[in-house]
Formats: sequence, C-alpha cells, structure tokens
Amino acid sequence: MIKAKHKSIASIGDMLAPYRRVLVLGCNTCTAVCLAGGEKEVSLLASTLRLRSTINGQKKEFLEFVVQRQCEPEFLEEAKGLIQGADAVLSLACGVGMNCMAENFPDKPLLPGNDTTFLGLSTELGLFTERCVACGDCLIHLTGGLCPLARCAKRLLNGPCGGSEEGRCEISKDVPCIWQMIYDRMKALGQLDRLSEIVPTREWSMNDAQGPRSFVREDLRVQVAGGG
Amino acid sequence: MSTVLTQQSTAMPPCQATCPINQDVRGYLAAIATGDFRRSLELVRETNPLPTICATICAHPCESECRRGQADKPLSIRALKRVAVENGGPLAPPSRVSSRGQKVAIIGSGPAGLTAAHDLARMGHRVTVFEKDAAPGGAIMSYIPLYRLPRELVARDIDNIRALGVDIQTGKALGQDITLDELRQQGYEAVLLSLGLPVSRGLNIPGVDGEGVLLTLSFLKAVNYEGYRLPPDKTVIVIGGGNVAIDTARSALRAGAKAVKMVCLEAPDEMPAYPWEIEEAAEEGIEMNCSWGPKQIVVQDGRVTVLECMAVKSVFDEQGRFNPSFHDDRCTLIEGDIVILAIGQASDVAWLPQQGVALNERGQLAYDPATMATGKEGVFACGEVVQGPGSAVRAMSHGRQAALAVDAYLRHETVAFEEPFPLSQLDERVKSEVKGVDRQAVPLLEVSRRVTCFDHVDLGYTPETGVKEARRCLNCGNGAQLIADKCVACLTCVRVCPYGVPVVREAGEVDIRADQCQACGICVGECPANAIAFRMAGVEDIPQRLEAALAGGKKEVVFYCSYNTFYLRGADTLATVGIPCLGKIDVKHLLQAVALGAERVFLVGCADADCPYHRTLDWAHRRIDTARTVVQQAGLSGVTLHMLHLEPQQFAALPQHLSQAVQEAAHSEEQND
Repeated sequence: MIKAKHKSIASIGDMLAPYRRVLVLGCNTCTAVCLAGGEKEVSLLASTLRLRSTINGQKKEFLEFVVQRQCEPEFLEEAKGLIQGADAVLSLACGVGMNCMAENFPDKPLLPGNDTTFLGLSTELGLFTERCVACGDCLIHLTGGLCPLARCAKRLLNGPCGGSEEGRCEISKDVPCIWQMIYDRMKALGQLDRLSEIVPTREWSMNDAQGPRSFVREDLRVQVAGGG
Repeated sequence: MSTVLTQQSTAMPPCQATCPINQDVRGYLAAIATGDFRRSLELVRETNPLPTICATICAHPCESECRRGQADKPLSIRALKRVAVENGGPLAPPSRVSSRGQKVAIIGSGPAGLTAAHDLARMGHRVTVFEKDAAPGGAIMSYIPLYRLPRELVARDIDNIRALGVDIQTGKALGQDITLDELRQQGYEAVLLSLGLPVSRGLNIPGVDGEGVLLTLSFLKAVNYEGYRLPPDKTVIVIGGGNVAIDTARSALRAGAKAVKMVCLEAPDEMPAYPWEIEEAAEEGIEMNCSWGPKQIVVQDGRVTVLECMAVKSVFDEQGRFNPSFHDDRCTLIEGDIVILAIGQASDVAWLPQQGVALNERGQLAYDPATMATGKEGVFACGEVVQGPGSAVRAMSHGRQAALAVDAYLRHETVAFEEPFPLSQLDERVKSEVKGVDRQAVPLLEVSRRVTCFDHVDLGYTPETGVKEARRCLNCGNGAQLIADKCVACLTCVRVCPYGVPVVREAGEVDIRADQCQACGICVGECPANAIAFRMAGVEDIPQRLEAALAGGKKEVVFYCSYNTFYLRGADTLATVGIPCLGKIDVKHLLQAVALGAERVFLVGCADADCPYHRTLDWAHRRIDTARTVVQQAGLSGVTLHMLHLEPQQFAALPQHLSQAVQEAAHSEEQND
C-alpha cells in the first residue's frame, strides 16, 4: 500500500498561518492503515493544532472528518459541506488523494498534512519499508519475486555489487542486501542458473521520461453522447 | 462468521452460565476489584434473594467453570460474594417491580420456597409462606451446621424477603394446621409446594434399632435448634460419604464426641462430599474409613459397641448405577458408642393424596417439569422434593422457575425456561498467555479452636484481600468489541494483542474474538480508526468522567489504575479518573485533559508484578510519551505529564507521591538544561 507520515507540526503550523477555519480531513484507506490518516490521527493532529492555536492566541477552528478514500470523487461527496465551509483543507491522505481533493474543489486551498513516502508494507508494528517503485515494467520474475529497483541502493539489475557484506548493504548494516536475498531465494527455488543470464537495460520510457503517466482501458471507456 | 459473533456476544461467562441462578459474577467481581462494594452487592442482589446465605454456604459450581481455572487457579468466587455482602451494605430492601396482586401460598421456607416467594412478591403478588418449623429457612436452618452458617446471617436475608411484603407464618404444617381447600377458600389462587427432603434414609442391617443409633437429620436439627450435646466420652461413627455426613461428623465433634469416625462405601476419590469439606474434616481429626459397607451394628447390653463392615468391591455397576458389591470374607470392626446414619434423605409426601395431590408410581410427588404443575389444579411444586438432593442454589433456581410458572399460570399464559449459552473455553494460545496471579487463600479458624465450638470456621477475606482476589478475574467476554463499519483492516489490533485474540477471517475481515478477549485494552488505544469499543465498565465513559473531574478549573488530574481504588484515601481533593488498568488509557484522554486546562497530568499505575495483564504499563508509557511530544510541539511549556508506579498500599499517600514526582521531574529537567 501507499505509505505516508505526518509532516512536522512546525511546518504544518506555517502552512496554516493564513487560515482560521481548517478542516483536518482523514482518509480511511492507505494512510489509515499506515497510522497517518485514520480517525485517531485526525483527532490527535486536530487536538495538537487546537492546543497550539490556543496558546498562540490565534482562535483558529479545527474541524475533523474522515472519508473512505480521498482519491475517489464519490467519497468526497459526504465531506462536501465541511470542505466548502472551511477556509482550507489539511489533508491526511497520500499525494494521490490530495490531488483528487484539489481537483474537485478548485477554489479550496489544500494543504498536505502528510509526506507520501513510498509503496511499501509494515514489516513489523511501527516499521514501514519500501517494496515497489511503480516503474511500469515489472521484472521480478527474473529476481525471485524481490524487486532490486525498490530495494537496492544502486538499483542494480545484475547485482550484487562489491558493497554487499554478510548479507548487508554497504549503506547501512541495518539494510539487508536485496541481491543476497535474491540469491538465497533463487537457490531455494532451484533457479540459481538463471542469475547467470544478464538482465538487459530497462525500457525507461515506461517510466516518467515522457511526462505524467496514464493508461487507457478502452473496454471500459464510456463514449460521451454525440462524440466519437 | 456473523453467527459466531452474535452468539458469542450474547453468551454468558461460564461462571454465570453455570450458576443455577445465573449470577452476574463477572460484574460483581469487577465492582469489587475497583473498590465499589456497594455496586457489587447491588449486582449480587439483582438475581439472588439469599445473598448472605449464598456468600457463606454456596457450593459455588461457578468456580469449577471459571476460565482462569483453565490456566491458573480459579477465582475464589464465594468468598468474594461475602466481601460484597459484608462491605456493600446496607442497601435499601428490594422493592416490587409491578403489582399484579394475586394471592399465592408457598408451603415450605427452604431456599426454593424463599426464592419463589421473593420473585413472586417482586412481581407484585401477595405471598404467604407457611413453614412447619418454628423458624423460616427450611434445610438451611435445620440442617446446615452453625459453624458453617451463623444464624444471624440467615435472618438478614429473610428480613429482606419480609420487607417485600411476604408474610412468613411459622409453625404451620400443610395437612395438619392448614389444608389446600382452606387455602383456596381464603382466596389463594396458586399454591407452591417446596417441601424439601425432611426424612433421613435408614439402613436395613441388624442392630439399627438399638439405642445409640441416630438419624442424621434429627441429630443435626437437635444440635442446631436446641443446642443438643452428646453425653461425655462417646466415640461417634457416622455412616455416609456425602456433604451431610461430613456436616454430621463435624457437628458431632463439636457436640462433645471424644472421637468421630466416618465410614463410607466410596473410595476417597469417589466420595460425593466436596473435597474441601473432606479436607477440613480431616484437619479436625475425623477418621475416614473409606470403601467399607456396614454389615451390622453390634449392640451389647442395649448399647452400641461395634460397627461391623465388609470391604467394598465396587460401588457402581457396569452401567454406572449405584449398586454396591462386597467382599463377604473381608470384614473389619469399628468400635464406637453412637452410630449416626447419614446416607441420604427422602421426601415426606405420603399424606399428600389426602390433599388431592397425586403421587407417581414410585410414591413421589408427581409434577411436570415443563410447567412445574402437580396433578391438582393451581398447585405447583419445586425444590428438592421433586428434584432430589442437591445444593441450596440449585433449589433456589428451581424456586425461581416455579415463580415464573406460577405467574404465567395466574396470567393464563404458558411458561418457557431458557437455557443460558456459555462462552466457549479459552483456546490454547490464549490460555498459554494468561498471566498467573496467586489465588488468595481464605483464612479459616484455627483447627484447635474450631473443634471446641460452633464458631464460624470460614473467616472470609478482608476488603483488601478481596480486591486483590477480584482483580484476578479475566472479565471473560467483556473486553474489546470491533466496530466493523469503522474497521480499516490495518491489523494493528492483530499485532498489538499479547494474547493473539484478534484474527483475520475469510475475505480479510478482522474478528476480535469476544469469547477469547482478556480485556487488557491495549488494542483500544492503538486502533487508528477508533474502531474498537470496550464493553467493560469504566472505559467508554473516561471523557465524561474527566470533564467532571476537572470541572471548577482544577489544574491537576490523576489517571490511576482503578483496581487500586480501594486503597485511594486522602486524595479527595484531587481530580481523579480511575481506569481499570492503564493499558486502556488513550493519548486522546491525556490531550483532552490538557485541553480542559490541566497543567499537570499524572498516570498512576500499579507496580507491574501485581498487574494481571501483560505489558499494559509499557503501552501507557508510550502513550504518555506521545502526549508529551504533542504538548511540546504545541508549545505548551507550562504543561507536564508524569508517570508513577506505586504499590497498592502506596495509593493511600497519593498526594505526597504526586508532589515528589513533580519535584523529581523538575530536578531532572534542570540537570538536562
């Protein structure tokens, strides 16, 4: 899932400076799961901001609401009244949700309460780690199901490099060398021989080289009446 | 899945489901554990018309089913009921809940009759109880030894039943002083027979008619009512292995016997008496002769000298029926001067047909268990007379059913009795994680003292010990409750629960298994979607209590573990909010306190060793750390949050400990600066 974490209170405070009535809007999907956007986080952040506003004598007002997903316009409908009534929306969604919010409420200032960090998972309670860079050209069938683009510091497609030592990456002893893990897994799968094949250079045009990415599913598109 | 959840959320804890009168054991134990003795007694009284008697002599089947007993020793539930009874009063007498106003007569004032009288009176009926003996109470008054039940305790319960308007007329025997026809003429629309088992069973062996051979019920009654004492220097032989036999033997010892010997057919592990009764009798020096069957009582010069016994081959036959067989060639002689037969009880109903009430083919009172009705219109029966021998609480339950049956009859309706549905047992993983906490021993009167008198043997818990014992309760089925609509399936609860209670079901749904939850509350404070509610009292209302505590502009507030409420003295001037274990504190509560103007917030937890839960204080620490970070980020320099660990007895001096914590915190801050 998408992972995100709160911005610092100080930076949020700076962004909020011009606004008096602010809606703290949570998202009950990815950021709720990574403990950065659910009802509890919304309420904690709002409480913190209220306390801060009180002692600064700012008399700001903080409203709280959580929608199912901020990245679907339909889910934003139920928050419409609150959004319109606020001077600004402080979103605890990921960047996708925030963009969707901004696009759907063109005259409403949108402030990010979270930094969207990566696509990853919670490897243990309280620890979130990256697993995918959404490169658009998945090749993990060649690497035992483990992604070297997301998990190798050098994004090597034919690792490991000389910096792999006892299974750890040279950037930090806390970071496992993904190429060691790929090797171990291929061995377990009985496919070690496949590692001797050189993985060719990636087709980077599938990535962001050509601007914002999009794709079309023609089978699902609905023709606008009179168009075509 | 939803079916399972529905069943489990309405299921009773096993203690309550097993209790014949379904006492809310979990509820009154939680009240004791948090020092609210009054509430505990109120809860006991909701379903128990004889709380004092039950707190003293109940056979407590609840304890055998206690789920802590699966992993540790069970709760000492009867002794805790006594804590409620001794410390929770005085309460106003029970009151009527409706006024139906029909006249009902109850014959017999044992536990079944009294319970029916209480229940029918609460429903608003005009109830008269006719008791043939001089005092109400039935078997409780006549046969329970004084050392197990001081009689002033019985009076307390009976006074409360009288306070409901129940007229108890003693010295009135049905068939002698009054007839069913007369009752009908006097306007009684229903009659309930709760006649008990007033006849001792005899034994058909030579010598049984000799002088010095007594029947247990008349012996016990004489000791209890008239203070009967045995002639000096007599050795008493008690035949029987049940609870009444033990009562007889221990009473004989106190009534002046030189020595008491029990003889029973059963092997030690087969004796029907409760193990603790056998143990206490043995402590008192009563000799047990197990696996011996009486053959004859040798009488010389008109006096008992010896009981001749045969060795028992088996007590039960292959079908498990009582059918003793003996080794005819293996005999023993047990010397003694008095033999008391305590081998069972029977009803006295042969006269009932004269009143128009039919007997069955075995000569017993005929009744229909589904309606509690006898063969005579408007006449019902309950208790041991139709159930056979059993515990007082079982008879009470039958009295309760009879009250429902009689009430239904009076309203021309039919009655249906519901069987409670118990929570399932703990699964292996959960069981292995239950933290062992020592069961508090119930102090008993010293053996050397108790054999010389009829003083109450069971001394009961002090309130302090009661609180300690009550907090061992696992609060079965009263913990976390998932609000499915709000759950985002983040699995935080699955990961923080120390017991492995939340599980992932089909289609990725999370199920916090109500039947397995140990009510530690850690998950509630961690759920990012606020999707977990808490069933146990004292958690969901924290925000309201906090607001009330800080009303009037107080600047300090103490969140403390309410399992130590009882010890909290001298803290009346503080704003306090009790939480049943600080694992249930949430960062939002701490911030609410600050938002309400508190400048010093204290979390006071008990020392870890006493906590029945795992790692709850660790979580409380994390939450206070989070709250400190928030306060710092908000720039609230004048607000401090403190965490204290105190032994229960230190709660008595809470204000001093709080100021000390503030001083220490200021000191360490200075050093850091």
